[in-house]
Amino acid sequence: MNYKNTMCTLLLFFSATGFILPVQSGNGIPLKKWIISKNSSLSVNGSTNVNKFSCVIPAYDQIDTLTLGKNKTNTEVVLSGTIELRISSFDCHNSGMTKQLRKTLDEKQHPVLRIRFLSLDKMPVLTTQPEAITGFVEIEIAGVSKHFEVNYQITKNDQKDIHLLGSRDINFSDFNLVPPKKLGGMIKTKDQLSVDFQLNMKAMD
Amino acid sequence: MKKILISGLIAGCILFVVSYGGLFLGIRFFPGLFVEYNNPLFNSDGSRDILFYMHAFIISFALSWFWDRFKGLIKGPAIMRGLEFGFVYSIIALLPVMWISFSSLDITVLTVTSWFFYGLAQAIIAGLVLAKVNP
Repeated sequence: MNYKNTMCTLLLFFSATGFILPVQSGNGIPLKKWIISKNSSLSVNGSTNVNKFSCVIPAYDQIDTLTLGKNKTNTEVVLSGTIELRISSFDCHNSGMTKQLRKTLDEKQHPVLRIRFLSLDKMPVLTTQPEAITGFVEIEIAGVSKHFEVNYQITKNDQKDIHLLGSRDINFSDFNLVPPKKLGGMIKTKDQLSVDFQLNMKAMD
Repeated sequence: MKKILISGLIAGCILFVVSYGGLFLGIRFFPGLFVEYNNPLFNSDGSRDILFYMHAFIISFALSWFWDRFKGLIKGPAIMRGLEFGFVYSIIALLPVMWISFSSLDITVLTVTSWFFYGLAQAIIAGLVLAKVNP
């Protein structure tokens, strides 16, 4: 009975501490894990020849992590992890525009937009001062994936929250999407969109 | 029949220029009035553009036939006949269509009102042309 209890306690200890012990990469370089908070957001800004629009996903509704480390040759900073955003969560502050964006992004066939993080150009210092970093991501919209270089600003506040702001201009046509046009082409949506996201994260110690 | 087709074609050409020219200028100078068209309710893939631009001729030929059939009932100088014809068409055809459109589609009063006045202007212009070409 005592033996069983000890084993159970040990198993419980290892399974519990397994989540908080420092994670190591394959070559022994410690990895940092960041948990994405639910107050993270993404906005897509664009324009037509009659107005500008800003469509927002105001709150990230999943629990995901990003992992920061170095590659095997210790030459490249690897930022890995994927965020999945439901197209139905977009709000353009105008019901018609919202419906139009969802239709244009082919929500019925591809209900999710994915951003897969790939790399950073340097290891972030993480201070209260915004640090400019660039990195590569893979964005998947309407079933088409493309690699993009993204400009980030990264900060860490006194509450140890990490804020990662990313911005990148993309085109509808990058994803084989056709920007909508109305009234025989008299009202046209411009091909270019600006994607901005803010990830609020906590480091797993 | 030939008279109906010729006067319809003339009215169609004039309406084409005035309608789409007016629409182009309206979008350019009053863009805020057209924001509502960014909605899946309106065709966006360009597959019906040709039908959209044919509208001026469709309404012109229809009004040309209507004019030829009932022009005897509209008396007075050409300008007054054209104006009366435009108002008659708007009350008989446009108003009920706008009514059912507003009651069944997710559109604003501003949009449906603009459609009514756009149609009224088209009918008056067509009426003036028809009163001159086919008195």
